Amino acid sequence: MKWHERLTGIDRRIIYGLLTIFIIAPFFIPLKLRENIMPQTKKLFDFMESIPPHEKAVIISFDYTPSTYPECHPMAVGLLRQCFKRKIPVIGMSFDPQGPGMAVDASDYVLSEINREAASPDDSVRYGIDYVYLGYKAGFEAAILEMGENIASVFPRDHLGTPVESLPLMARTKNYKDIAIALIITAAAYPDWWVLYAQSRYGVKVAAGLTAVMAAEFYPYLQTGQFTGMLSGMKGAAEYEELMLRHNYTQELGKAERGMNSQSMIHILIILFIIIGNIGYFLSRKKK
Amino acid sequence: MKRTLPLAICLVIGVSMVIQFFIPHPVSLRYNSTILTWVIILTAFALILAIGNVFVHHGHKIVKQQPGWFYSAVTIVSMVIVAIIGLFWGIGGQSLFQKIYLNILSPLAATMFALLAYYMASAAYRAFKARSIESFMLLAAAFIVMIGFMPFGQYIHPRLPDFAEWIMQVPNMASKRGILIGIAFGAIATALKIILGIERSWLGGKD
Repeated sequence: MKWHERLTGIDRRIIYGLLTIFIIAPFFIPLKLRENIMPQTKKLFDFMESIPPHEKAVIISFDYTPSTYPECHPMAVGLLRQCFKRKIPVIGMSFDPQGPGMAVDASDYVLSEINREAASPDDSVRYGIDYVYLGYKAGFEAAILEMGENIASVFPRDHLGTPVESLPLMARTKNYKDIAIALIITAAAYPDWWVLYAQSRYGVKVAAGLTAVMAAEFYPYLQTGQFTGMLSGMKGAAEYEELMLRHNYTQELGKAERGMNSQSMIHILIILFIIIGNIGYFLSRKKK
Repeated sequence: MKRTLPLAICLVIGVSMVIQFFIPHPVSLRYNSTILTWVIILTAFALILAIGNVFVHHGHKIVKQQPGWFYSAVTIVSMVIVAIIGLFWGIGGQSLFQKIYLNILSPLAATMFALLAYYMASAAYRAFKARSIESFMLLAAAFIVMIGFMPFGQYIHPRLPDFAEWIMQVPNMASKRGILIGIAFGAIATALKIILGIERSWLGGKD
């Protein structure tokens, strides 16, 4: 085999081996690269900062599954932390059957952190007053539409079966008029339906946290203003962590920032392999 | 009659929901709420049907001892056990149900998805060849976006992230917007065909 043919025929075990090294190494040798903040991330962060405390609630729809945990979960944790620290009420819900597991995990993690640091009961986050999780609901298109009239008719009970009228937060949150923004964290097309039914019909603000592969599809909603902001994949989550750090919501960077180092390294590796493959391809064609 | 009645219901409900959209009267809103509640209930029943389908499909494989029947048995046993745990011991943050979800399902799903990175790297190396001007431009755009969105893109050139963002905001958005408008027209046409009874495949089966 000629040397240029070797360039196009690298054994996949070598690719897999190098990939493994490039993924693992940054966890032991941190690169400490700071994120360049994208405008859509900054826009969402600024909007969240502008919501007055103890007034309108924020909807967070946890519509992602464990397979997209590294991209979506840090977004959920960051947004919950910002809301809880700023005393913005949060109503959680899921239209994906696997969403509740992720939602409970994210909220338990942030709640325990905030309540551990709380100096008094007023500083803590209380279920039913500052936070409610309504659980999973089938038929998301109809549910998103109906919530514009009455959220309690779609979710008469919360995730654990408590009637929502007994929860103070839900007693004062009837429909989208009482919502500051709906944040959809997902790896599927749910934000389309939120824009179609909640944003267009009822005027509620919508923002999305999406996996990187989906983000390109949703750019038109950013330009039209139908999205108030957008977090694109692990990078978006890492940018949000960076903003949280700059605004003293946290003292250290989170999982997305660490994951971005690995992701950057494997992107470089993939680019290198594509270049090597193309050099081999051109040299082979020239010889022929 | 078997086909006429569903078609008539579809026509009446479809037309009335379109009219209702433009009438913000309390009666109209109540009608809208009722229909939407029905839709949610019907969708929940679809889930029951899906569970039944899983049992029938995998049960058949187990009874007939078809290849892979053991995996079908694992599927059914896991589904029943997790459902029983969730129904009788709760689904809260500290429940056994949540522990199973976080410690078994979550790592399994994440592992399956993570394997894609290996296949993608190998496939990108073998398939992404600049065989024409168009494929070269595609590759160049992909490189710029990938590098521009990486944290060290800004260290290569301070304007590189902006250029990557421009690619997403202008050429990418122009094509996406065209696709979106096409989908919207397609959805309107399909909805009209269903409401007017021209498209009948949703009825299933034959007379």
